Amino acid sequence: MAEVGPTMIKRRGFVNLWVTAREAFWLALETLRVHKLRSFLTLLGVVIATTTLISVMSIVNGMNLYIADRIANLGSNVFIIHQWQWAQGYESWLKARRRNKPVRMEEYEFLKENLANYKNIGAEARMWGETDARYKGRILYDVSLNGTTPNMIDIGQAKVEIGRYITESDYDHSAMVCFIGRDLVDDFFPTVDPLDKEVTVRGIPFRVIGVAARIGTTFGQSQDKFVEIPLTTFQKAFVARPQLAVNVQAWNGQQMLVLEDAARALMRARRHIPYQEDDTFGINASETLMNAWRQLTGAIFAVTIGIVAVFMVVGGIVIMNIMLASVTERTHEIGIRKSLGARRRDILMQFIIESSVMAATGGAAGVVLSLIVSKIVDIFFTSSVPANAVVIGLVLSTGVGLFFGIYPASKAARLDPIEALRTEA
Amino acid sequence: MQENVTPRDSVMIRTENLWKTYEMGEAIAVQALCGVSFDIERGEYVAIMGPSGSGKSTLMNLIGCLDTPTQGRYWLNGNLVSELSDDELAYIRNKEIGFVFQTFNLLARATALHNVELPLIYNGTPAQERVEKAQDALRKVELGDRMHHRPNELSGGQRQRVAIARALVNNPSIILADEPTGNLDSTTGEEIMKVLDRLHEAGNTIVLVTHEHDIAAHAHRILHIRDGKIDRDERVS
Repeated sequence: MAEVGPTMIKRRGFVNLWVTAREAFWLALETLRVHKLRSFLTLLGVVIATTTLISVMSIVNGMNLYIADRIANLGSNVFIIHQWQWAQGYESWLKARRRNKPVRMEEYEFLKENLANYKNIGAEARMWGETDARYKGRILYDVSLNGTTPNMIDIGQAKVEIGRYITESDYDHSAMVCFIGRDLVDDFFPTVDPLDKEVTVRGIPFRVIGVAARIGTTFGQSQDKFVEIPLTTFQKAFVARPQLAVNVQAWNGQQMLVLEDAARALMRARRHIPYQEDDTFGINASETLMNAWRQLTGAIFAVTIGIVAVFMVVGGIVIMNIMLASVTERTHEIGIRKSLGARRRDILMQFIIESSVMAATGGAAGVVLSLIVSKIVDIFFTSSVPANAVVIGLVLSTGVGLFFGIYPASKAARLDPIEALRTEA
Repeated sequence: MQENVTPRDSVMIRTENLWKTYEMGEAIAVQALCGVSFDIERGEYVAIMGPSGSGKSTLMNLIGCLDTPTQGRYWLNGNLVSELSDDELAYIRNKEIGFVFQTFNLLARATALHNVELPLIYNGTPAQERVEKAQDALRKVELGDRMHHRPNELSGGQRQRVAIARALVNNPSIILADEPTGNLDSTTGEEIMKVLDRLHEAGNTIVLVTHEHDIAAHAHRILHIRDGKIDRDERVS
């Protein structure tokens, strides 16, 4: 029986809203469960958008980690003077191929004489075309063949594991010696000592004087399948006037910038390049690569955001339409709830929570899918899911559900209870 | 300016000169109620009887706080409710009114227990207390063993009992039953009327809206309504 006397009309506080919210949350999950196919179709847009977003962020993240680890490791404080600038985009590369001239031995000698204060300066020439290496009936194809100066061991990535590197003496005498990478040892000398054995490269025999420590793979390419011989030997046996990459090592990061400028000035002077014209050569440092890389990922990102945005909006509109249909379907139910005391905000909360939960479920499905996609891509390429991508994906999809659910929810909230009750269930 | 006299404690419902007009376009206005005034005391068992078009549905909507009058005043349990906002009306409906509808109006996908819990959810009652109160109410209508059934697993009479339990769960001031036996056969209908009779004996105020004499006869007082006015106020034994 009711209390005797007038009851106070109180303003109900947020506690009531919390109870209603919990009810709405379970109701939303139940609705999802009951209408599986419809929910799946509704959420497709959001799922695709979330999966795309996280997958692309993961691939970019994977590549960033990868690049930072390997390629940017050109060797500390080293810059490389070469015919062209690396990673500069296809158009400019084509132009460079036409107008830039290769760096030659004379220019290397010139720089060695005239560049001041370097820690080290070396040169390497890379052989174009297929090179095969043979030993006692075994053949290895696609081997990198480099002609180097002796100090390249101090400048470059490689480290001596067995034996020694090329010496000044080897260089001066154009000795027929070679320094080999681990892949050749694994293939030719699995059980014996490789030193002093004779390996035939492009038909010409060389004596093995040293083996490099294993480097690993970059973008799926092994970095251990190489043969290095003295640059003078390279000129004698293969290419008389080779194109060079001149490696300059500075004492520290600051000084490297100074050295770069000095080297550029020297090259321009030697090549008589007029003041207003561009360089006819390229100076490459890890910074160059990283910048170019950031530009590329920036572009990838911009496109991705565009695609994701489109899918999210489409997905949101689909959710809105389904919710509108749902509200119409449940008009009678809303009438019952209102007759029992549901206020506008209770009904509003119920439907906004429903659309948000639906969209969040789509987002979660997208997260799971993107984890699978990332694992698969990582096998062939590289991909690593950053934590913030998952958070962004979930927040974004929930937000879309919330935003696009407002209109249907407010329609539901404004229904007249008497009219709603009259509607057929 | 009318006097603002709150009725004395024993008066549960007072309607004073209620008018309800529906505007249908520019020139046409339908007068559903034309100056209805009556008092219903605490603990009374009243039936409102009239043919279709008499305005009894409109009057029921006003008494049940689903709507407000165009003119006139309405006090429910000492509160002047005729001028409340939508949210305030919702609050009053939740706390003071227990509805029992002809078509039961249960949520089809919820269990009996959850249906009875609904009014408690909308006034923020925490879960454990809700479940206890709902179970109590279901036991009072002798459905203690069917709490977890859905409406489609219950007979018509059982569904109406769930609706009655739901109406009781918040300890309302009045139980407002609109043709409660309209969708039931005569035997089941009689059972339901017995439930209502018992509730009245327990001290509840009951307002019954019907067009059937047999049903109205359960009440102790019949308000006959015709053409938007109270025609006759009949005291029955």
